[in-house]
Amino acid sequence: MDRKILVALHKNEVAPRFDLATEALLVTVTDQGEVLESKTLLLAHASGDDLCDLALNKDAGAVVCGAIEEEYYHYLRWKRVDVLDSVVGPVDAVLERLRRGELRAGDVLFPREA
Amino acid sequence: MKAQMAALFGFDCLDFPGLLDGLPVGVAVLDGQGRVQFLNRALEALTGFAREDAQGLPCRHVLRSRACVQDCPWARGEGEGLGAETDLINRHRRRISVRLTPVRLRDADGREVCRLDVIEDLTPLKEMENRLSLAAGPGQMVGRSQAMEKIQRLLPVIAQSDSPVLITGETGTGKDLLAEALHKASPRSREPFVRFSCGPMPEELLEAELFGRRGQDNDEGRQGRFQQANNGTLSLSEIADLPVQQQARLVRYLDEHTILPLGADKPLRVNVRLIASTNADPEALIRQGRLREDLFHRLSAVRLHLPPLRERGEDVSFLLQHFLGLYAARFKKDIAGFSQKALRLLSGYAFPGNVRELKNIVEFAAMVCTSDQIQPAHLPAHLPGVHEAAAAPARKTSRGNKA
Repeated sequence: MDRKILVALHKNEVAPRFDLATEALLVTVTDQGEVLESKTLLLAHASGDDLCDLALNKDAGAVVCGAIEEEYYHYLRWKRVDVLDSVVGPVDAVLERLRRGELRAGDVLFPREA
Repeated sequence: MKAQMAALFGFDCLDFPGLLDGLPVGVAVLDGQGRVQFLNRALEALTGFAREDAQGLPCRHVLRSRACVQDCPWARGEGEGLGAETDLINRHRRRISVRLTPVRLRDADGREVCRLDVIEDLTPLKEMENRLSLAAGPGQMVGRSQAMEKIQRLLPVIAQSDSPVLITGETGTGKDLLAEALHKASPRSREPFVRFSCGPMPEELLEAELFGRRGQDNDEGRQGRFQQANNGTLSLSEIADLPVQQQARLVRYLDEHTILPLGADKPLRVNVRLIASTNADPEALIRQGRLREDLFHRLSAVRLHLPPLRERGEDVSFLLQHFLGLYAARFKKDIAGFSQKALRLLSGYAFPGNVRELKNIVEFAAMVCTSDQIQPAHLPAHLPGVHEAAAAPARKTSRGNKA
């Protein structure tokens, strides 16, 4: 079954803060890992409430973001939306993991440079 | 990093990470690109990130502060060393108020060695600020009785309109507080809220105070309360104390939205929401000729009555506990509540001064209380029955001694 996933964006990476993201990527991924559709959505202003509404209105089954406040996390979980938070990395790497069905909360996808 | 620090401080035995770990504030050491090199222990605890997990990551993904995302202090360049209040969301999904101060470490030649983000947790200060603003501020409308719940329900609706309001109620029932609450909940809340007591004063002075005075020659003139409250709200307390002539000028304002400053020949247009209050019965004031009927009808477009405390039943015990919480916090005392005797005594009292009197009584009791409960002995001496109630345990003890 196709699955819609909303990735909160900050430039070309996962937004460090869910409530401060003004951009989101809505991707539809098939069971076979094929990305059927990828759409960038812009918000008029940063708002955790609006982003939750957007995820629910677009029937997203999962949300990918960096930091998310507890109330938004529990609200989305209550609405049966999976929340993969504390994800750090460029959007391409996130999409690749999503395609393979391997993205987990807390994943760090930036190359480490000590 | 250790080598860089050794070069910076001029001796190689410096345990820089150990030094940072000993600090009570969070510190992140960043490289020139803003990637995390090190987190001290305080910052590990604050962010929920282990230093090993954070190493090499862009700092915005570790600190996750509002400032990092919206107004990165390092990107701004200027303002280095100046702290900014912001918030962060840690890995436990908790929002924390913090102060973030960027510091650039340079060597003796002025070359950048590393950058530090210093993070102070402001949670205790914010909590104290909230507590103190509750205790020291103008307060809020509280109450559990039906009458107060009705007012609280109506307040946001009434606040949205620009209609004048007439508030009636005995002294100490919270008329000024209600006027301020209406202003705060209104679209005018960012504009001035001006309070004026129409107490006895010479008529000319009163007119100048209310409507202002036109400047002459070198004199700049003077703004009246109407001009001060322009675009906001003007609260006139004890409206019946206003001379009838001034009341007529209020009628004119309510009809035309213009005022005539003292000495001026042209009316001045102002945009003020008028809230008037009185502790007397307005109908009786009209009968006595102290309140113009036309003013009353214009003011009472919205009329709110605050009932006296003796008619507010369950509010007495609720307000006692409410104010005790505020004053115990202000006086830094650990007072849990009132003893049965003190509560019985207070519940039987009529509170002619209403909420203001109750508040003063609780403030006094909290001030003098030295135990974890307010006893009759802690209540002001003018309350009926206090002396007897306070002396009762002593008599019992003395009888016991005799026996």
